[in-house]
Amino acid sequence: MRLHAAGVALVLGCGLSVFVMAVGMRESLERTRASYYALNRMANLGVSLVRAPNRLEQDLADIPGVEAVETRVAALALLELPQIQEPASARLVSLPLLGRPRVNDLVLARGRWPDPAHADEVLVNQAFADALHLPLGGSLQATLYGRRQQLRIVGVANSPEFVFVAAPGELFPQPDRFGVIWMGRRALAQAFDLNGAFNEAVFRLGRGANAAAVSRSIDLKLRPYGSSGAYGRDRMISDRYLSEELRQLATMATFLPAFFLVVAAFLVNIALGRVIATERSNIGLLKAFGYTDAAVAWHYAKSALIFAMIGALLGIVGGIGFGRGVAGIYLRYYHFPALEFSASLPTYLWAFVAAIGAAGLGAIVSVMRAARLAPATALTPPRPTAFFETGRSIAALSKRLDAKSRIILRRIIRFPRRAATTALGIAFAIALLVVSRTFPAVMDHLLHVHFDVANRQAVTLSFMQPREMGALHDIQRLPGVIYAEPFRIDELIFRHGGRMVHEAVFGVPANARLNRVIGQREQTLTLPPSGMVLAQALAVKLHAAPGDSISVEQTTGRRIEANVRVSGIIEPMVGSSAYMDLDALSRLLGEPRRMTGAHVQLDQTQYAAFNRAIKATPAIAGASFVRLAQASMRRNFEEGVGMMNFIYAAFAAVMAGGVAFSAARITLAEQERDLATLRVLGFTRLEASYVLVGELLVLALLAAPFGCLLGAGLAMWLMKLFETDMYAFPFVFEPQGYAFAVTFTLACVLTAALIVRTGIDRLDMVGVLKARD
Amino acid sequence: MRLICINTQLSNWTNEKSSTMAPVFALRNLTKVYGEGATAVRALSEVDLEIDDKELMILLGPSGSGKSTLLNILGGLDRATSGEVLFRGELLTAMDDAALTQFRRRHVGFIFQFYNLIPSLTARENVEIVGEIADDPLPAAEALSLVGLGERLDHFPAQLSGGEQQRVAVARAIAKRPAILLCDEPTGALDVKTGVRVLEALQQINERYGSTTLIVTHNADVARMGQRVIHFSDGRIRGVETNAHPAPPSELVW
Repeated sequence: MRLHAAGVALVLGCGLSVFVMAVGMRESLERTRASYYALNRMANLGVSLVRAPNRLEQDLADIPGVEAVETRVAALALLELPQIQEPASARLVSLPLLGRPRVNDLVLARGRWPDPAHADEVLVNQAFADALHLPLGGSLQATLYGRRQQLRIVGVANSPEFVFVAAPGELFPQPDRFGVIWMGRRALAQAFDLNGAFNEAVFRLGRGANAAAVSRSIDLKLRPYGSSGAYGRDRMISDRYLSEELRQLATMATFLPAFFLVVAAFLVNIALGRVIATERSNIGLLKAFGYTDAAVAWHYAKSALIFAMIGALLGIVGGIGFGRGVAGIYLRYYHFPALEFSASLPTYLWAFVAAIGAAGLGAIVSVMRAARLAPATALTPPRPTAFFETGRSIAALSKRLDAKSRIILRRIIRFPRRAATTALGIAFAIALLVVSRTFPAVMDHLLHVHFDVANRQAVTLSFMQPREMGALHDIQRLPGVIYAEPFRIDELIFRHGGRMVHEAVFGVPANARLNRVIGQREQTLTLPPSGMVLAQALAVKLHAAPGDSISVEQTTGRRIEANVRVSGIIEPMVGSSAYMDLDALSRLLGEPRRMTGAHVQLDQTQYAAFNRAIKATPAIAGASFVRLAQASMRRNFEEGVGMMNFIYAAFAAVMAGGVAFSAARITLAEQERDLATLRVLGFTRLEASYVLVGELLVLALLAAPFGCLLGAGLAMWLMKLFETDMYAFPFVFEPQGYAFAVTFTLACVLTAALIVRTGIDRLDMVGVLKARD
Repeated sequence: MRLICINTQLSNWTNEKSSTMAPVFALRNLTKVYGEGATAVRALSEVDLEIDDKELMILLGPSGSGKSTLLNILGGLDRATSGEVLFRGELLTAMDDAALTQFRRRHVGFIFQFYNLIPSLTARENVEIVGEIADDPLPAAEALSLVGLGERLDHFPAQLSGGEQQRVAVARAIAKRPAILLCDEPTGALDVKTGVRVLEALQQINERYGSTTLIVTHNADVARMGQRVIHFSDGRIRGVETNAHPAPPSELVW
């Protein structure tokens, strides 16, 4: 019984530790985010524009609902760092002329604020400073709008606006390649030709303000200045990533624990059923002495309650430890000034409620049976188990087996519910491992398709502004360039049937060799000469189907509006953009033959020369190195998935081991007499063990296909749940993963069975056989 | 009932027998103590006995007299605290667990009071199972017809009466043609009529196959079918009775 309790408590503990970790982490992140945002006045709305005079700031501040506004100058710049070969890039954000930012204030991690009197003094974000070991007082070479300038680092800071930092167009942070630099407004405005003007504004709204109405007012006021439209936090990259993370934690908080609670309920059911069966005569005695049904029921319910309490405590302690570890990992990606794991009291209480619920559910049938047992019935020994031959096919099968295998077969058929419970527990463990092995397989596949099939360029260069196609020749002339392919990206507002979505459209040249649009089954898609292809996620948001006409509007430049036909829908794994033939897109937007950047294939021997050249090319605003992006993506996946996989495997082992151990012990208890008989007849320990171990292995083998199917289904479902605007995860079948899941689980079952098997060695043959059934 | 021998005569009798033919079992100073110290219970005290080949011997005594303990030690299910048991000249008391298993496998058939059939196997299969470990087993159908159960081969234990179950147990015990048949209260759970049928089966087998048969019972009437009757009490042999004309089981009444 103690061992059963330990098994139940462990399984409950595993599930609840994930629950406490995920819910607690979610609470911690939300709490930290809320207080960080509140203390540092995180913007509710933001807007980018081409250029607006500073006097407009007061107009913006006067919009009803706006609590504070901060106008600023923001731009991208290339940096030259001695530590790395490739150019790094940074987002430059101006600091107000006087005082601290009223919106999106910074937290100084070290150093001091820049002196407005010194134009070259800057702050850098902490992740960037840490990744590159940038010292206070050190300098940075930056190319600002084509002019090289030396910047001096006087402080390191964090901002609620940049909790998550990734370069534009990149999916994952590369803190050693992309940073945020805050510098004096005057110097930055001067560098970007924005004296007396701003090109970004961030707003903090008052309590109860109508964000949509404020957005409309902002747009009305800034439209003449090239505004691309006000946007909320849902389009602020950092907050969007955080919200996604919180959503995924919520998924994790429900999925895994539910799994374990079900198995724990089964284990309680099996264990208590057995205890009540063995204590049958005691129950009869208690009742004969006058104990009420309720008192007997409570006696047994209590033990389930104790299992639950121990499980919940284990889960809470495990969850706190687990949460602290995860908080450390989160801090590497989400740059809060501090992130402490702490779950709320209700979360801990819920862990108890869940544990008691699962144990109670498992106990109820057995407890009710104990309560209902009439004393006279309970005092007489139970009738021996009656076996009957069932079905002709099974009879034919059992004829072909030896007696020991026949015992196994008939027991499984005779106790189908218990066999099913054991098999289900084992199947769950297999499924859990299948899920855990599917993640890396999916990631590999995603990386493969994204980088080996879709993005085959070495570097993607982007210009400050759209340029004539002739600029391609300049790129082709850069050292080391083997081949260059133009592209354009435009931020558009898509409208269809009253719905409106901000998204990017990619203009891809016909017969693209480097950056290709991938359709079904990794096939390269040739874009039609007219019409737009939408990503599934975008089409869903717009309720658009092939053949529909949708309207698009440029958010920058001349703000061209046009109608375009949806020519197809694809399911890209990364991104939720639209795609169009480059020439067709240029024509649609009234800017024939213009490009916003180029994908480049490189001669790696000229890598250094190429890097030197692009650092010296003023027109280039950004360079994205595919190899680095791939490495960062892989590192991100592996860090997150690696730890999860270890935990999944450990938990699956607990689940498989717990179920097998419990099933084996009960089989041993029930079969003690048969096993002793076999031993008396002269069967060796090994031969007798076969009956015990064989039954479990047969159940495990029966469970294997079901576990694999369940795992595949769960993996598919989870992939859908984890899907975001940024990713669509394909389902990937990787046979090795399934083989591992089955082998690992079988090994756990076998180990548990072999441990329990030692009971056969200690069997008191005489005692068992002399006792009445 | 005539008591022919008393305890003191025992050694003379056995010595005389052993000079003519080798016994299956020879017991010397066999002692079995359960527990330790103040709670120690002497189940067997310095028992000396020789059991002849093909003999049908009854171990008679009240419960707790040590007769079952003796049977278990002879069958290799239990170990003596001191003393020796020789089986056909081999020292049984020195064998390890694996050797005892092999001894049971090759030579011993057991019959218990509570049958101990495997409930998930039919009558035939319960008998056939010994075929998997015996060198030259009797066909299950033949063993079952020997005990009068030729008609109920494919019934599961739960579908058989107590007497039928015990006869399946007898069939299972004899199917491996054991040299020794050890029966612990084989009729203890049966009514007279059924018990007699089981005893008849045991006697037939003893006559037909020459298995040395030891029957433990507390029933003095059952003892009348034995060629020798060993009287037990308090872990000691209190008397040995030789029966020149063992009664056929059909004449037994209890």
